[in-house]
This record gives sequence, structure tokens and C-alpha cells, in this order.
Amino acid sequence: MQEKKIKNKIIKRVKTNFKDARDRNDFKYNRLDFSVKKEIIPSVLFYLKDEMGFIHLSHISCVDWLEEGELEVVFILWSPEEKIKVFVRTRLDRDNPVMDNLDMIWRQANTYERELREMYGIQFTGLEAPDEFILEDWQGPPPMRRDFDTEAYSNETYFHRPGREDAEDVRETITKRSGEDIPDFAKKYSR
Amino acid sequence: MREKATTLYFGPQHPGITGNMMIRLKVEGDTIVKATIEVGYLHRGFEKLQEKRNWLQSFTLLCRFCVPEPDPVEESYARAVELLEGREVPERAKYIRVMMLELARMGAYMLWYGGQNASLGLYTMGQWSVGDRNYILDLFEELTGGRIYHMYIWPGGVRRDLPEGFADKVLRTMDYFEKRLKDYDDLMFSSTIFRKRTQGIGIIPKEKAVEWGVVGPVLRGSGIHSDIRIDDPYEVYDKLDFIVPTEEGGDIWSRALVRRQEVRQSIHIIRQVIEKMPQGEYYNRIPNPLKWALPKGDAYARTEAVRGEVGMYIVSDGSIHPRRTHFRGAAYVHAITLLENLLVGENISDVAAIMNSLGTCPPEIER
Repeated sequence: MQEKKIKNKIIKRVKTNFKDARDRNDFKYNRLDFSVKKEIIPSVLFYLKDEMGFIHLSHISCVDWLEEGELEVVFILWSPEEKIKVFVRTRLDRDNPVMDNLDMIWRQANTYERELREMYGIQFTGLEAPDEFILEDWQGPPPMRRDFDTEAYSNETYFHRPGREDAEDVRETITKRSGEDIPDFAKKYSR
Repeated sequence: MREKATTLYFGPQHPGITGNMMIRLKVEGDTIVKATIEVGYLHRGFEKLQEKRNWLQSFTLLCRFCVPEPDPVEESYARAVELLEGREVPERAKYIRVMMLELARMGAYMLWYGGQNASLGLYTMGQWSVGDRNYILDLFEELTGGRIYHMYIWPGGVRRDLPEGFADKVLRTMDYFEKRLKDYDDLMFSSTIFRKRTQGIGIIPKEKAVEWGVVGPVLRGSGIHSDIRIDDPYEVYDKLDFIVPTEEGGDIWSRALVRRQEVRQSIHIIRQVIEKMPQGEYYNRIPNPLKWALPKGDAYARTEAVRGEVGMYIVSDGSIHPRRTHFRGAAYVHAITLLENLLVGENISDVAAIMNSLGTCPPEIER
């Protein structure tokens, strides 16, 4: 009951300040969810941190909605006082994903942004960090995007070691050697 | 005359921590003026691989996210799946999970005892604690079949019930550790070398700790009372009685004192769990894993590990494969932005000790 009151209070305050924020409050546990436009992300996060007590940044993640042509960036914040976590999400155009840098709000956002830049190709305006994070000399497309085919990439980029051809598909090799059929459920995983 | 700055490459191999990462240090004399963290030695693309697997097949990857303590990662993933699906977990399974998590915490702290001391050139402690850790690994082996990687906590409960007489073995092991920890105190916390090398080194001021995103024992070492087990309780932690130790100093010594007390609290929790554990089901069976689709949506579950908050964000598009899984490790914050800040002004000889005190775990940065 207490939790519901707090949740409603937070929603009311956020929606008063940010009119087009869409909220979700049907979670059975201590969670709230807001969807906002990318332009107001910094002001929403500043507001939640400074005014509402969501001082801890738990996570920044990105989801590729390939079919809809959009990337979704999700911020997960935690309020130690209210014991509520809030998800703030925004959608970016997949062909030109640009949003504001946020490491002046939380210093550690810098690391998350570096990873999202490398793995999803999101450009954070004003992000000051070395170009490379995890990948070294990476020339291909952002690898965590859904349309990046890891298998095709490795077939094009690397070669099979001579003499190891029979190890290419473990199931088929075992079948050839033992004369037993591949079980039905495993067939779809074989090439 | 101003000394010329030299660049020193620290790593990527370190004796004290698990995994590889490099710190590029700019030093004047033996004082650090700038530190840049370079990761990229351990990227295995786990999260991309998970997108190709079904929900249950991820478990072979999850335990490899952070080798010294894999159980919190499994637990956070399992709980995120349960939150998304709305699956109930039997009460007994929750108690068994807490027991596993606390045993894992103790095991990881035993490694930390070794690593923290080895980073200061005190090698005896590691021989003792890593040796004692084997008694915990023996328990894991009997319960799960694996010493390091367990894949034991999974959606719906745990994989198997406790074997006969297992609870007694756990209690006997706890008795052993309780006695043994006194020896650790004599060797480590009474040691003048340890005290002199850790007091006043790597200080995280209280007012900066939250701002820098510090979590876990490191945050508690800076005097802030914060623990997910209390603040955002999961499993049955709200039914257990334990204290969350804090220290005011913010240096390596304070963090060590926090960890010293936390091992004792883990023993206390495990004893309570064994005493209160109800009989009954241990697993709420999931449907055929090859056809098991989760409803559309997302969930984030977080767990208190030895390094601090670890969490798993999962997104489902309604199919049998995850749309996205994203792991949040404590080292992601501690070992990059925090460490870069903290090393400035410190002596070269303290770098390893500071790294260790932050719970640096490179495999969870890159995954």
C-alpha cells in the first residue's frame, strides 16, 4: 500500500514536469517505467537524480528492435530512500542513432556509453573517451546489432585450419563415425 | 627540477586478480599522475551468443561471467526470468539459493584474502585461505557436481535437492571456518606490514562514493550503509537476521575490515538458513526448454555479490530466445572510472593492492 502511494507520487511529479512522458505502473514489484523522447533524457535523468532521490545508476542498456528500425536505450535507476527502481527508456533512429552524453550526471555512464558506441554504433554527443573500448582495430559493423551475423563474419574473416575439417559440425562427425542418426530434436541445430 | 613523466604498462597479467586487463600509468618518480584502463583481452561475446540460445542454454555461459563467484550471476538471471514470466519459486528452493549464495560469498572472500595479501607480498595468507576454500568447493561438488561452475540455481528453483547429511556437513564446515578465521586475524589483521601498507591508501571519500557509483563492500568501507540484501531484499533475506558492517575510513584497510566481518555474517546466515529451511518442493518445473517462450517484456534483477551489485537485464520478444541479455557487474564501474580516479597520486607499489580492494574482475567488464 505504502509502495503504491510512493509510486503514484513519483509518476505524478514526473508527468507534471514532463508532459509527454508515458508511464507504466502495473508491476507487482518495486518498479516504475517511463518512456520519453530522446531530447529530454538529460533533463528527466537530472530531475530524477537531484529532485527525486534516484541517485544510483544501476544500468544502461540498449536493445535493437531491427524490425521497427529503432534502438531502445534503457536507464535503470535506484532510489535508496524510496526503495524503488525506475526504468527510463527512449527510442533512437537505427540509421542515425545520436543522443546526448550523460557522464556529467553519473561519471560511470562514460563506460556504458563507450560500450554502446562500440557495440551498437550509438553516437553520444560530447563523449570524451578513447575510441576503442573492448574491440581492437574493429572494421566491421557494430557487432551487437541484430543484423550482424557472427557466423558469416567469422567464415569470411578467418580460415579453417587444415586437417580440422571433420570437426566443423560435431553432430555430423559423430554420426559419420558411429553410424547413428542425429536425434530429431537436434536436427534443426545441425547445418 | 621537474621530473619527466614515464609511461608504465601495468598488466595485462596480474597475480592477484582473476582475468586480464591493462593499466597504462603515467608516473613521475614513483607517483602516478594519470591512469588509463585498457580492457579487451577477455571479450567472448557471451551476450551475443545468448541471443542465439534458448533461455535455459544460457547457463553454461552465465557462470563464466565472473569465475571466482559465479552463483550471483546465475541467481540474478534466474530471478530476472522468473520476474518476467511470473513464475513462483518454492520456499525451500529460496533457502537453498541463499545458502549457495552465501557459500559462494565465503569462497570468493577466501580468494580475496589470498589476492589482497599477495598484492602486498604476503603470500602465506593465500596458501591458507585458498586451501580452506577447497572445503567449500567440496560442498559445491557434492551438491552440484561442479567445484567452480555450478549451473545449480535455475529458473523455477534449484537443480536438485540437498543430499542426505549435507546440512550437517555444511554446519561442520562453518564450525571449522569460525575457528580458522581467528588464525586469519592473527596473520593478516594483526600484521604491522598489512596495516601500514593499507591504512590511508586508496581513499574513497564518503561524499564522493555515491557520486562515483561505488557499490558493495567498497561503499560500506566508506561508511555508507547499503546492501541489496537489506535495501531491495530478494529470496528470503528479509526473513534472516544479519548485520551489514560499515567502516568509516574509506581506505583499503577499512574495506578489508568490512570483508572480515562479512565472512562472519555469511557463517551466521548459513546457520540460520539450515535451521529455518522448510521441507517440500525445490523446483517449480519449467515447460520443455526447447519450446519455452517467455512473454514479451523486460526485467532487471540484481544481487549482492562480493564485489557489489551485479544485475541481469533481460528482454524478451515473446520467442524462445532472449532478445537481449545485458549483465551489469560491479567491476564495470569500480575497475574503470573509479580506479582511474583513485590511482592518481598513489605510489606504483600500491596499484595492485588498490585494484584488489575494489574487487576488480575483468571478465565481468567485457563478458
